Amino acid sequence: MSAGLTARRVARLGMLGGMGVIYLALVGMVQTFDGVRLVGDQVTLGRVLLILPPLSAAYVLARPRIVAGEAVKPDGRAALVGGAIIGVTGGALVGLSIVVANGLPERFAAQKIFTSVTPALISVVTFDRAIAPGIGMLVVLATVAGAAGAGLAVLGWKIRRPLITGLLVVLLLSMLQNVFRVMIGQLGLDTAWLYSVRLGGLTYIGAILTFAVPAGISAFWANEGITLRQRLSGATREGQRQVRLLAVAAVGLLLAVLPFLLGSFLSAVLGRVGLFLLMGLGLNIVVGYAGLLDLGYVAFFAVGAYAMGVLTAAANSGSSIHVGMGFFEAVPIVVLLAAVTGLLIGAPVLRLRGDYLAIVTLGFGEIARVLVTSDALKSFLGGAQGLIAIPAPSFTIGGLNVDFRDPQPFYYLVLVFCVLAGFVSYRLANSRIGRAWVAMREDEQVSEVMGVSTVRYKLLAFATGAAVGSVSGALFAVQIGSLAPTSFNILISIQALAIIILGGMGSIPGVVVGALVLVGIPGFLTEFETYQLLIYGAVLIGIMLYRPEGLIPNVRRTRELKEEDRLQDAWSKGAPDAEPATISWEEAPG
Amino acid sequence: MMTRGTADVVETSEAPAELGRLSRFPVRRVVQWVVGVGVLLLAAYGTYETIQLGRFSGAAWRDLLVFGVAQGAIYALIALGYTMVYGILNMINFAHGEVFMAGAFASYFVARTLQNSGFLQSNPVVSIAILMVVAMAGSVGVAVLLERVAYRRLRKAPRLVPLITAIGASLFLQNTAKGFFGPQTRGYPTPDVLGGTWTVLGIPILRTQVIVIVGAILAMVGLIMFVARTRTGKSMRAVAEDKEIASLMGIDVDRVVVTTFAIGGMLAGIAAVLFTMVFQVVGPFMGFIPGIKAFTAAVLGGIGSIAGAALGGLILGLLEAVGPSLFLTGLGVKGPNQLKDVIAFSILVLVLIFRPGGLLGSDEAEKV
Amino acid sequence: MSKWAWKLLAVLAVLSLVAAACSNNNESTGGGGASGGGNQPDCNADPFGCVTYGPGEPIRVGTLLAISGDVATLGVDSEHGVELAIDYLDGNFDGKAGQILGHDVQLQNEDDLCSKEGGQQGGTKLASDPTILFVVGTSCSSSAFGVADKILGDKGIILVSPSNTAAGLTAESTHNPFYLRTAQNDAIQGRVVADFVYNKLGFTKAATIHDESPYAAGLTDGFGTFFEQLGGTITDAEAIQSTDTDFKPLLTSIAQSEPQLIYAPDFNPACALLAKQMLDIPDLKGVPYMGSDGCAASTFFDQAGDAANGTYMSFPLPSPGGTTSALLDTYNKAYKDQFGNPTAAFNTNAFDAFNVVAEAIKQVGVEGSDGTLTISRTALKDAVFQVKDYAGLTGTLTCISTGDCQSLAAVNIGVFQLPDIPIEGGNQDAKPIFNETITLSDALGS
Repeated sequence: MSAGLTARRVARLGMLGGMGVIYLALVGMVQTFDGVRLVGDQVTLGRVLLILPPLSAAYVLARPRIVAGEAVKPDGRAALVGGAIIGVTGGALVGLSIVVANGLPERFAAQKIFTSVTPALISVVTFDRAIAPGIGMLVVLATVAGAAGAGLAVLGWKIRRPLITGLLVVLLLSMLQNVFRVMIGQLGLDTAWLYSVRLGGLTYIGAILTFAVPAGISAFWANEGITLRQRLSGATREGQRQVRLLAVAAVGLLLAVLPFLLGSFLSAVLGRVGLFLLMGLGLNIVVGYAGLLDLGYVAFFAVGAYAMGVLTAAANSGSSIHVGMGFFEAVPIVVLLAAVTGLLIGAPVLRLRGDYLAIVTLGFGEIARVLVTSDALKSFLGGAQGLIAIPAPSFTIGGLNVDFRDPQPFYYLVLVFCVLAGFVSYRLANSRIGRAWVAMREDEQVSEVMGVSTVRYKLLAFATGAAVGSVSGALFAVQIGSLAPTSFNILISIQALAIIILGGMGSIPGVVVGALVLVGIPGFLTEFETYQLLIYGAVLIGIMLYRPEGLIPNVRRTRELKEEDRLQDAWSKGAPDAEPATISWEEAPG
Repeated sequence: MMTRGTADVVETSEAPAELGRLSRFPVRRVVQWVVGVGVLLLAAYGTYETIQLGRFSGAAWRDLLVFGVAQGAIYALIALGYTMVYGILNMINFAHGEVFMAGAFASYFVARTLQNSGFLQSNPVVSIAILMVVAMAGSVGVAVLLERVAYRRLRKAPRLVPLITAIGASLFLQNTAKGFFGPQTRGYPTPDVLGGTWTVLGIPILRTQVIVIVGAILAMVGLIMFVARTRTGKSMRAVAEDKEIASLMGIDVDRVVVTTFAIGGMLAGIAAVLFTMVFQVVGPFMGFIPGIKAFTAAVLGGIGSIAGAALGGLILGLLEAVGPSLFLTGLGVKGPNQLKDVIAFSILVLVLIFRPGGLLGSDEAEKV
Repeated sequence: MSKWAWKLLAVLAVLSLVAAACSNNNESTGGGGASGGGNQPDCNADPFGCVTYGPGEPIRVGTLLAISGDVATLGVDSEHGVELAIDYLDGNFDGKAGQILGHDVQLQNEDDLCSKEGGQQGGTKLASDPTILFVVGTSCSSSAFGVADKILGDKGIILVSPSNTAAGLTAESTHNPFYLRTAQNDAIQGRVVADFVYNKLGFTKAATIHDESPYAAGLTDGFGTFFEQLGGTITDAEAIQSTDTDFKPLLTSIAQSEPQLIYAPDFNPACALLAKQMLDIPDLKGVPYMGSDGCAASTFFDQAGDAANGTYMSFPLPSPGGTTSALLDTYNKAYKDQFGNPTAAFNTNAFDAFNVVAEAIKQVGVEGSDGTLTISRTALKDAVFQVKDYAGLTGTLTCISTGDCQSLAAVNIGVFQLPDIPIEGGNQDAKPIFNETITLSDALGS
């Protein structure tokens, strides 16, 4: 019982699993995603959501627990039974609520409170059957899912990883079918073997293939990968350098040819990812490096966009100022303007730290939004009607007209600025300035005593961050071609913040991953658009609770957030199967 | 304001700054003074011009003041939730606006039922009492759940961590409410008795506003009494002073923290009913803006201080109501009322420049 | 995570190789180059190519509507109109979808987010799918103007909007050749409201309020211009943030210059809150509130309560022909049965928007002997702009060259005094207290 397979825990996890399903149903996800057919016409994303919570709960139950620094693996058979019980409990809870929701008289009908509770939802959760057999099926499925979840945890990672890889590939290919079907079609390849237009999801053969092939590769990699990694780490310094160079070259090549592989829609999504990546890089300097929480980063985005708009727009743009500059001439002016704005915002708040800084910058963000909307500045910035007729740079090579508003050329434009910003961030982080920022972030007073001018480095962080953010805004203006003030709200600031939190504060690869996950995935999957902010919220909470250093942590930052020794301790004592333990704040020495 | 909090916010001494090269000449101070005095002069000039214009009657100014006080009372009630949690845990519960929203929604469904049965109109006082209880229950539930699920594990984490978690919680709760109840705003039924005005001290004031102001004052007095007189209030003050020593003295810190969240939730629930009585709408995003405003009010008054929250709320409400007309009309700015948030946040920045701890921030006696 | 990403990439690469091996390199849905057939359209001559649907394949239609966020009521309502149009393709509202030329219709619903970015994202997504024949959208003018209309038009995809009202979208100089709408141009409404206030009510002083939406700003600008041309005075042109709730200070300020009416076209709850709080300002006693079609929804009654009574609302009147007024009744009943009460005023426009294009498809679609359907994009566009006297729910529609599909290019705008207004919560049989039929050229010409 030291592995935590107590009846109480099983019951609690079962209830949690059931409540998870009920939550997903009430919030509308189950029904919305029932329209997303994954495999054939029976397996929909909505139905997967019905069994996912019990599955996860059972997985949590059967995971090795760290008790006093030791990873204790639960007994396999007991875990399976526990998982199945979780499934039954969860399924029964959901079934009970279906009966209640269905049985209440009109006057108390749950749909008067919960807009998602409709006959359509009931028929989704009962698999288009009558109530009793539907619930029966739900309970059976949940039980199977519970057992499977526990099984997944009990199995060794050499089996678990290929299974999950295969499932993820199937999920990805089926959810993105609108995108991949078009893409594969554009390459002139046949899609009928993979996607069934009639059924709306993957074909059964396609599903099996797309599961088996990646799973096989993953299993192979699991065995060979270790040897490869060992050989790599055993290689000479020079050899490692070469491998790294090779990897960089491969990534560079991939980035260069990506738009041709992906087609215009995916390139447009990548362009958008690039815009947020730029913002993330800029905010990363302010928050990640210098430790100044800026909740009003949208202000710089707005400055960049509107400055670019006013400087380059045609005479009928809605602004009384007509400059008519070219994009590339305007960029330096925009950047300079933003840097000055950064200084102006930074100067008065220098004495503030942490929470106070957050509210003041939030205020600045709101001020920026109100000002671009306002009638007071309407003659310059267009007011509520916004600015139109912002040109995109274009040129002609050999009869081929390249317009940077088109998704593919725009991708390259953004890529250039992202690489530039990434390079600047990287150099800054590893310079004297970067070290000063770290010192300031760790302890402002001590760093001052050590001779770091906090005034100067704070202002520098604000100005650099502002400059990078403004480039993102300028590119946004070019991409859309017209500006509306409603685009510049606080959610942009929070989105940028979520990106660097997910990826890992202070980590450039982290920002890239954060932007890809948080902007890329919702961009590909329009169904997620409705739930994007909900998911952002969940991501922020989840990351802060379970992995505060982010997905791809900055090495130094990790040391701040976690106590390294304890981590190693847990790792060295744990069974080979144990994942790095998550250490809660309560246990960590304050 | 508690001692540790103060040390974090305010630069403890000017001396080390002198080591920086830029700081030899006090550029920062000069810039700050120039900005501050400039804004004040502009406001004074605007006020002068507005009064010269003679556009507003005396009655209009009086009405604007009353509107400002009423709005400020609601901000103050919500701000108390921020300030209490900050006083105990040194964290900003960014999701407190959503706690307020949860109370409003909980009472909305009961209010609909009461309205449909005719009880709301026939027994307005009892109805409002019921709604208050339901709203408080809803808000307290969400606040306590938040503490348990999201914040408890983060008590010893670096300061940005709980703040970011709270931002996430705010988004999560807003959008959960949107998914549960639909994105649209709905009309909130109120007793007809609340329409019209009462004459207080010879001034006709809207009945809803009288109730809001009186309700807010009662809630705040109650809170101050609670913190000052009761045993729980004493343990709260002890925990605010030093968690570890408090726990050594036999105080259950977890319980005190949960109580703090619960009290913040109760106040938010009261604020929610008062808010819906005045504006008669509920919606999933209704808490966000009042939340940010209340947060601003709490910081303005000096976060961690009960009187500060009240003062900050009052000032913010007044600035929003009177500010655009007073400062901007005379300057000939188009659409001055649109810019009320600009005024509010500018004043916040100004106050923090000169008093980084907020207006009452350094007042040791008033802290929770 | 990065390891995972790399593995996925590798897997994808392998998969595409597998796909290449399996492919037989001929069939692809959509795009140009359909083969054979006697009366096939000349797809090579069409710069945008043809869309081809194989036997049994559905015709794919995009929607680009505001289906999330605060304005979801607007977009979801329009989406229901489109769904009912598909339902009605078989001649009755039975909940079973009909067909066009023997093909089902499949919707791909995208979100315009009521913003420029939404128009750009959704537009690019739909434009990149060659199987999308046409798009119903956008809900909000800002999503279409210079964004979605251009992105889709560049691919030869028709965008037909049920609710865009901004004047610029169909102005001679800025109209995109593939853009149409069945909603009414703001220029007309602003003009009619000015006429109503000045001539019918006899008021000479009015104040306007708008928020950050281009819709409200466009209407108040238009109203202001025409009202002053008629000889009236705009006492205050104020603005709000749509997220505000306390408008009493603003209204107190406006009251100082003694307007006889406040014109605040907006969306709810702002409309309702303004109307309600006007009653709280002693100096505004007897000054009526006037809103527009954005406010005219059941939510206005719900939120404004008794304050709704006596306010004015303007909106375009459906003027169905003799044959379709019966259809309008069945339609309204079907809507109620399937989706409950309408949440906005544009679902009939959406129904018409879909049908205007569906009519044209029936004319230019070429059916192959095996059930293949081929449609030339340019021919379809030309056919839509030729639609004449189509008997729709909102009137007998004729599409003019700048994309406005309206009754003889003229619109009947009605002004109602609440509660006598034919929306949920009001009086379904109410008649307008003022109406004016006006052509677009009249509205823009003066």
